[in-house]
This record gives sequence, C-alpha cells and structure tokens, in this order.
Amino acid sequence: MDWQSFLSLCLWISPHALLAAVIVLLFRRRLYRDFPAFTAYTLYETAAFVLLFVLTRLPRVSGDQYKYFFLATMVISLAFRFGVIEEIFENVFRDYQFLKAVPKHRLMWMKAILALAAILFAFYAPAENPARLMAGLAAVNRGMAMVQSGLLVFLLCFSRILGLSLRNYAFGIALGLGILSTVDLGTSALRTQFATEHGIVLLNVLSLSSYLICVLIWMGYLLAPDRKAAHLANLPNSELEEWNRELQHLLRP
Amino acid sequence: MITAWIFVAIALLALTALLYSAAAHRRRPASIEDAIQTMRSIDIAAFRNLIDPEEEAFLRSNLPPDKFRVVKRERARAAISYVWSAGQAAALFADVGQSAKHSPDPTIAASGAQIAQTALRLRLQTMQTCFRLARTAVLPGRKSLAPPVWIDQFEWTAEALQRLGRLRRHESVYSTSA
Repeated sequence: MDWQSFLSLCLWISPHALLAAVIVLLFRRRLYRDFPAFTAYTLYETAAFVLLFVLTRLPRVSGDQYKYFFLATMVISLAFRFGVIEEIFENVFRDYQFLKAVPKHRLMWMKAILALAAILFAFYAPAENPARLMAGLAAVNRGMAMVQSGLLVFLLCFSRILGLSLRNYAFGIALGLGILSTVDLGTSALRTQFATEHGIVLLNVLSLSSYLICVLIWMGYLLAPDRKAAHLANLPNSELEEWNRELQHLLRP
Repeated sequence: MITAWIFVAIALLALTALLYSAAAHRRRPASIEDAIQTMRSIDIAAFRNLIDPEEEAFLRSNLPPDKFRVVKRERARAAISYVWSAGQAAALFADVGQSAKHSPDPTIAASGAQIAQTALRLRLQTMQTCFRLARTAVLPGRKSLAPPVWIDQFEWTAEALQRLGRLRRHESVYSTSA
C-alpha cells in the first residue's frame, strides 16, 4: 500500500470512528430528543461506512458494483442532510412564533433561487468525465451542496444580523454541515477540471479531510459547556422584568 | 472551465462567511451595560431631524431637484446608521434575554424569554425601517415614508433603561461594600 492510499484509508476510517463517539455523546447527553434527524443522520453515515468498508474487502464485489452502492448511499446521505438543516431551522426559531413567518418566507425564496441556480449550473457544467452516471450524479451532488451550504450560510448570517444566538449544539451542527457542504461544492466543481489520477487523489484527500474537520467540530461543540449557561452569573435577577417593560414601551407607542 | 471556477469562488465565499460566523459566535455575550450604552449613544434629536417631513418639504422647495436628491440620499444614509445602531442595541438586549432564558431559575428564564421576544421584535422593526430608508436612498425622488412608530418612545425608554442601569450599579456597589 502506497502512502496516498494509506492516507486516504486513514482519512476515511477516522471520521467515522469519531462519528461513533458523536453518537455516544448524543445519547449520553440526551440530545437525540432535540436533534432526532441529526442523530438519524450520524447513525446512517456510520452504517453506510460499515457497509462500504465491508464491500471493499469482499473480492466478489466488482468496482462497478461498489460504485453503485457508493452512489446510492451518497444520494440518501444528501437527503438526510436536508432533514438536519430543516431541524436546525426549527430548533432556532422554535421559541419565536412571530419570527417563524420571516425565515419561512425567506427560506422558501432562498430554496427556489438556490435550486434554480443549481439546475442552471448543473445544465451548463462541463462533463468531461466519461462515465455519464458519475458525471450526472456529480452535477446533482454539486447542486445539492450549493443549496445546502447556501441555506446554512443564510441561517447563520440571518440569525447573526437579527441577534438570535444559537445554542452551542445547533450552531456546531450547522457549522460542521456548512463546512462539509461548502468543501463538497468546491471539490465537486474542481473534479470536472482535474480529471488526472493525481488530481482526483488530491481532491479525495481534501474531501475526506473536510469530513474529518466537520466531525471534529460536532464533537467539540457537543463536549463544550453551553456558553450561555456559563454567562449567567453576570445577569441581574429581579430587574429583568423591569428591563422588559421598558423595552415593550418601544413596541407600544 | 469558467463555471467550475464560479463554483469554487462561491464555495470560498460561503466558507469565509461560515468561519466569520464561527468567530462571532465565540465572542463574549453582551451585558445589559453594553446594550444601554449602545442605546444611549444614539442622538434621537438628530435622527428626528433627518426624517422630519417638514424639514424635507423645506429642502425640496429651497434646493434645485438634483441637489435635493443628493442631500436626501445623504440624509437617508445618515438615518440608516442611526437605525442600525438602535437595532444593534436591540440585538444586544436580545442576547442578554437569551442568556437569561437558560437560567435554572424559572422566573429569570421567563423574564429572559420575554426580553428576548421584545428585543427581537424591536430588531425586526429597525430592520424594516432600514430597508425603507435604503429605498429612499436609492429613489430619493419618491415621497418619504412616515417616521417609524418606535421613535417617539425611543428616547424615553433609553433614559429609563439608563436609570435602571445606574440603580443596578449603585445596588451592586452598596451590596459589595456592605
């Protein structure tokens, strides 16, 4: 085994091993109740990895058969990610009924614009890859990555501008998924240009590294204490109601 | 070829935005004092002058149309910076409220939730006002919109909040020395 294959193998196995630790954390901290879609996604990713890993070890499985399995798991994974994004949006705006309408409308428009852009880019994207199925799925992957990273950037920027502070867990999940989708978008676009063997290996390493970073981010945010809870010591107690009354005067002139 | 590089550019921009929001998330949460300071820094009298319809009518009648449009654009831009500061103060209050919302004490948590709701509503209103003012800056020939509903109360509320802040500081000094 050469060093490139060894590096790729390490980068393929390590994030999934860490993902198993993320699952344990989700269950130990009972976060599966707040983030059921994310929990399902991590379980699915781990199961898909085990399946693909076993397939690579089976001599009866041909390269083409493996490719079909890989593509099928990739498409399901993309669908799961949409569920996770929806869940983060729900989690952020759950306590603010009056705000729900704003992001819902914006989100609808964002989805429509991003989907249109993704279709246009997929249509006009160069398809130098000779395998048509792979090229088609690469275009779908690129489009979906664009929609997903767009939605996550929108969520983080919108909540930042509005002053909505995301709790650590939701923020960590959004950030990790955002980085993963964004690197997916960049690497899938570069794949059409660098079809050489060396270029593909390099892009694979980049994709796998981004997945490792994403899992490390999830783990870090799940392990870290909640920033908001730590800050409570600086807050006044009985005056809070009075602050609120004063602020409400602004809304009721 | 160009399409691929456009994708890479979009990805880099998105990555920058994500890293920026990660850095911003790590910043120290706001305190009530920060929020009041921001609120007090807004010169309401100057803001009132900038959005006063009579002042606008006076300028319209005394300036040539092209000069009037330039002045109105500048006034709208200045007004946006005031409203943006008011919105930032509201965002700081929202941050304080959201911190309190996670308190184990249910009364503090309830008050925090209320502050967060109120401040976020105010933040939304200031954002809407910003968009309206931006429209005025882009189309200065159009008739200006009515002053925002919250402005009449702003000065009074800012003073009341500052009084509360002073009271709180005084109490904390008193309790420390006792």
